Amino acid sequence: MSLIEIKNLTKDYGDGRGVFDVSLEIKKGEVFGFVGTNGAGKTTTIRHMMGFLKPQSGSAAINGLDCWSDSAKIKKLVGYVPGEIAFPDAPTGNDFLKRQAEVLGLKDMSYAESIIKKLQLDPTANLKRMSKGMKQKTAIVAAFMADPEIIILDEPTTGLDPLMRAEFVDVLNDEKKKGKTIFMSSHMFEEVEDTCDKVALIKDGKIISVVSTNEIRHNQDKTYKIEFDSQDDYRRFVNENFDFAEKRDAQNQVIVNVNDNHINAFIKTLKGYHVKFITEIKYTLDKYFRSLYKEEQNND
Amino acid sequence: MISKPIFKQTLKSNYILWLIFTAILCVFSAVIIITYDPSIMSSMMDMVEEMGMADMMGDRMSGMTSLLGTLGNSFYSMLAVILPLIFIIITANSLVASQVDRGSMAYLLSTPTKRSTVVRTQGIYLITSILCMFLVVTIVGLTTVQITQGSVFGTAHTGDVKAVSTLLDKDKEDVADDLNLILNNEEALKEGAKARNIDVDVYTAYLNLKISNNAYQAAADVLDKDVEEVKSNPALIKSNEEALNAAANVMGIDSSIYSMYLDTVIAASAQTEESDVMQEKVMAGLTSAAEVLDMEVADLASDMGKVKNNEAALNAAVDASGIQKEAFISIINQQLASKQISLDEGIDFSVKDYLMLNLGCFLLMFAISSISFLFSCIFNLSKNSLALGAGIPIAFFVFQIMGQISESMEGFKYLSLNTLFDTEAVISGGNYWVQYVILAAVGVVLYVIGMRAFKEKDLPL
Repeated sequence: MSLIEIKNLTKDYGDGRGVFDVSLEIKKGEVFGFVGTNGAGKTTTIRHMMGFLKPQSGSAAINGLDCWSDSAKIKKLVGYVPGEIAFPDAPTGNDFLKRQAEVLGLKDMSYAESIIKKLQLDPTANLKRMSKGMKQKTAIVAAFMADPEIIILDEPTTGLDPLMRAEFVDVLNDEKKKGKTIFMSSHMFEEVEDTCDKVALIKDGKIISVVSTNEIRHNQDKTYKIEFDSQDDYRRFVNENFDFAEKRDAQNQVIVNVNDNHINAFIKTLKGYHVKFITEIKYTLDKYFRSLYKEEQNND
Repeated sequence: MISKPIFKQTLKSNYILWLIFTAILCVFSAVIIITYDPSIMSSMMDMVEEMGMADMMGDRMSGMTSLLGTLGNSFYSMLAVILPLIFIIITANSLVASQVDRGSMAYLLSTPTKRSTVVRTQGIYLITSILCMFLVVTIVGLTTVQITQGSVFGTAHTGDVKAVSTLLDKDKEDVADDLNLILNNEEALKEGAKARNIDVDVYTAYLNLKISNNAYQAAADVLDKDVEEVKSNPALIKSNEEALNAAANVMGIDSSIYSMYLDTVIAASAQTEESDVMQEKVMAGLTSAAEVLDMEVADLASDMGKVKNNEAALNAAVDASGIQKEAFISIINQQLASKQISLDEGIDFSVKDYLMLNLGCFLLMFAISSISFLFSCIFNLSKNSLALGAGIPIAFFVFQIMGQISESMEGFKYLSLNTLFDTEAVISGGNYWVQYVILAAVGVVLYVIGMRAFKEKDLPL
């Protein structure tokens, strides 16, 4: 059974804004990435999961509990990092974390301290004067400290420098090893590709595709770029029976799609040519989604 | 019901504001009580109010000039309304709308606390803070009254009693209980008159009036009746042996003599025609005296001492009224004496009325806060919450002020919730419970609506 289940969720804000008929299923122990441009509907979906918004139609449920009507109960399972970091009035990071622990009913702060150490956060700093990254870390600690089963993060890495982002990914991986379910939104493909098991793409409030990153990584459709020494070779090769993505006459280059099943035939054919270089163009999520975007536009 | 940790958090981030406003209110209330001086207030009222003879001894004047009247007209009509109002506007917005607007509410709502619990906790904080504010103001007020006037626990003593008790080396309580001690001692009389800043004749008349009032009071206590009722019907005393004895005891005379005295009082009050004639005569005398003194009759009527001090005016009054000179002077003395009595009443402090003033002011603020809280719950943006949550209470306040300024704008007061808290009604013993119940009901209903609205709405967190 899915731990998080969003069914036909619709919230129409007018002017095409909102989310429309969004359905997602996230299994226990999965790290789920939620990608889309700004305004695509990521935050709206997350707010429904947190019970902050009431669905117009459809539903969101966590662990079988409705996110709107049982929102207090599901919070026992969920830690949340909001997209916009605005803390309540508290003098220092420590004060804020202590107050938050109190409301959570948390007595043991040792786990919180271990995360603080890992993220190299100085919680004694003035909460209002913290840099964006520091605030982000504080919010992450607040979400993680009760050791919840599910963690929902709305663009958690904005404001973190690359080094800190790596630390953060480490923390996420540790949580994943412990069997936590993680749902994070992002507008960066590389980030979710590195950390997530599954990725959903949302555009204009609609889910365009859900793919497993494994499928992307171990895609059997590979793309190669080949440059030939002579124009003769190039012209000859273009006439071969392959799936050419692009032909660059000026540079004697071709970009060709080859499925792993045909790779041997492809190499045999290449033997008859004088190749200057050959490289594999890595298939990325970015590329995958770009192709989907293109399809969308063509369909429109 | 409510969440303790959230209440604690809310308290932590809001108590300083509460402290500041409560402290300011306490200081103002204490200053008004400390600087209160019945004679100054009374002469101010004389200048402001143009009153006829009949009004002179009425309740209204003592109501306006008393400490409670002063508090009701200044403190509880202005400061105790506008200061908590500002506190409420700021606090109500920061409790809900501003936290939603900034997004910090997300941290409270990402814990396993129900939305309804969160908003209820915030509402309870607002109500509690206002309640505590008025509790503190009430306690500080009562303490200040006790220290400066000594009239909360036990009776306040007038200046003459204090002066005489020092002179006679007796306890103030004893002197106040037996004013005959002063009446029978020439030196004490002089001392007491000096303390009151009046002449001995007026003071003697005052003491007699006071003693007879005290006697009525003693009888009324025995009869378990209101003193005014006994006063208007002295036959009640005669019908009860015990009451008669108690009253006679206060007068320092034998009960049979007191009984005879009561007979004359009853007989005099029966002849209303005669007293009407008498009043007309006095008015005629005053009118001619006013001409001599070049004053308004009404002004003179409220300060008849001027006639006594001016031989020409006195003679004119005697001639015009056809009353004998001695008798006219005694009428004047009587009037001045009853004015002294009403000054004494200014010192009299009704703890019940004071508590009711504070209760009323609290209920008004409770109702006002429910408006601010409602809009704080409804809106996600601070600016919208403030526009209505501050705008409406301020409009109410302004409407009430406009209604008071001139009669042509009196209609405005019906547009204002503040009108339901009527300080005059509380002080002069009018009916105010219906208004209090309405204020409480408005508050409860709007708080409930606000909390429900917050529970059901979409939050951009």
